[in-house]
Amino acid sequence: MQGFVATCLIGISLGAQYALLALGFTLIFGILGVVNFAHGGFYVLGGYLAYSAVTYLGMPYALAVICAALGTTLLGFLFERFVLDRVIDDHLATLMLTLGLYLMMSSGILVVFGPQSPAFAFPLTGVIHGHGFFVPIENLVVLGVCIVGILSIYGLIYYTDFGRALRALADDRAVATAQGLRPAILFPAAFALATGLAGLTGALVTPILSLAPHIGDPVLATSFLIVILGGLGSVGGATVAAFIVGMAEAFSAVYLGGSKGALALFVLVLVMLVVKPSGLFGHRVRGA
Amino acid sequence: MSTTRRNLLLSGIAVGAALASSNVSVMAAGQELTLGVVGVLSGPAAQWGLALRGAVELVAAEANRDGLIKVDGAPCKVNVVAIDSKYTAEGAAAAANTLAGQGVKFIIGPIGSPELTGVKPIAKRNSMLVMGNGYAKDALSPQLPLVFHMGPGPSGWAEPIIKIAKQKFGMKSVVLVAPNDQGGTDIASVDADAYKRTGITASEEYYQRGTTNFAPIVTRIMNAKPDAVDLASSPPGDAGIIVKQLRQAGFEGPIGRLGGPGYTEISRVAGGDEVLKDFYWYEPVLIDEKVQLIADEYKKLLGAERPENNLFFQWVSAARMVTKAIAKAGTISDTAKVAEALRSLPVEDPNIGPGHWIGQDFFGINQELSFPFGVGLVEKGKLQPTIRVEAAGGK
Repeated sequence: MQGFVATCLIGISLGAQYALLALGFTLIFGILGVVNFAHGGFYVLGGYLAYSAVTYLGMPYALAVICAALGTTLLGFLFERFVLDRVIDDHLATLMLTLGLYLMMSSGILVVFGPQSPAFAFPLTGVIHGHGFFVPIENLVVLGVCIVGILSIYGLIYYTDFGRALRALADDRAVATAQGLRPAILFPAAFALATGLAGLTGALVTPILSLAPHIGDPVLATSFLIVILGGLGSVGGATVAAFIVGMAEAFSAVYLGGSKGALALFVLVLVMLVVKPSGLFGHRVRGA
Repeated sequence: MSTTRRNLLLSGIAVGAALASSNVSVMAAGQELTLGVVGVLSGPAAQWGLALRGAVELVAAEANRDGLIKVDGAPCKVNVVAIDSKYTAEGAAAAANTLAGQGVKFIIGPIGSPELTGVKPIAKRNSMLVMGNGYAKDALSPQLPLVFHMGPGPSGWAEPIIKIAKQKFGMKSVVLVAPNDQGGTDIASVDADAYKRTGITASEEYYQRGTTNFAPIVTRIMNAKPDAVDLASSPPGDAGIIVKQLRQAGFEGPIGRLGGPGYTEISRVAGGDEVLKDFYWYEPVLIDEKVQLIADEYKKLLGAERPENNLFFQWVSAARMVTKAIAKAGTISDTAKVAEALRSLPVEDPNIGPGHWIGQDFFGINQELSFPFGVGLVEKGKLQPTIRVEAAGGK
């Protein structure tokens, strides 16, 4: 039972981090129809912006996290507005542009900061030990911020005019535009919101784990896995799928080991997709 | 008009011929030797690749300064071309293929077992001499006489280190953690055998390479209640997170890393020596004043601080052996002749000291360099002086 509780806590912690990441990824796909291969890059950039703000500018960590989120938001806005928007309906071009941006970001970070992990520690230390489980305080803080972040995104998408406008564009862009909505403003805003979420997650999570230029690759892979499982473009699906993946990863790794655990996770996703190809909450996709 | 076109054509041919002849004369005047570096230059193990690249660049600079390589009596300039292997077999194979396409005959590196597995067939097909690393059980074989090992794997040094660690920390059981590919399994299994031979119960735990959060693996290790944990060949970035999460989980025992150096980065990622608490690792070279001179030489010749990872020193000694062999053989193209010269050279480095060729018992071929090495120790959160262990010999 103790092991079960400990594993549940790990799964919830992983799930919350994954949810924050996957929400951004699925928002971009759902609203813009773009698969953002630079998502992992914004996560890494968020980490490095926070690290730079703390190390070189002497900012308090909390302020550095806000700066990192704002920085990645701004970069996402500019990239969408001035680069991606020109080819927004060309899937191949958007794929190549986001992939190119990711390569530029990771190479740039490699050149500026080097390949090694810098010392970037979370300001709060300490661990809560229970009967057979442990929870680092830093994980609790990140979990809290992730939950607030997830709820805020829900509030924004479902209870504000901005969210309604984004959902209208996602449902039918032509009709929404005819009603007076302006994709030229809303698309960059949606992209910026998503990249800001990735940057926020990077700034929060990298001090707990580690910060290095390459860490965007597994982030991108996990985000992809989650949004496909949840249904591409579905905000609710991404959140549920993130917690399923977090739990599956924790339980399979703890009870089956690291190798078999990774296999079990992919088998789970495979089975889910065979049973429901559009994902948990996805809509039917038009065939080729 | 036609006359002009003909004149133009003739002029073009004349200029082309002049350029071609001048090119030939330049080539004849000074040949160039290119040392290919196949190493991981990105990702969590990049520290190892940077150490390799820096070492080969230093040895090339030394050779150029001393006019070491001569072909038919004429000095030969030494260049270095480094390609990122991404610590994968396919990345290393692609890098070796690129080097082969450029006519490179000598490869220094790669570092890890998966990479070496990728490089070997390409090297064999193109008669390239490889001075590599990689602690795989099949790193060397009599079927590949042009492949050499820059230093012994865990079969050469694990047991003496475990004996010292057992004496210091008195552990009776250990869990070894490593990535679930050849770069992890071949090292952890040899380490595990060495632990068992010294009377310590050992079990192995593997994780998917690319894992970023080790909390589930740490929970699994804690459930096994070992006295010690050994991170084997886990890359320094991964090892640092595992150490941090183990300590957060309340693990108080010693942590080892019998898979290669990386103490500095591990300590940095984990949160410092206080978090490492009791920690022991394989240090490929004992850095004394004489060895430190290599770092000074690096700064003098290349104008920068030497790469952080201590594998740098081991790669310097290995690359020096290769350039000495090329100089002795007097050829930059006949790799079989260079290999013959390399085998016949006494194992000796001006800074690191004397060593041996070993490997006959473990690999069936005596092509593994063995120099004195060190055992790094952190005790109760304080870094201790490195303990010197004499070069493994006789096998």
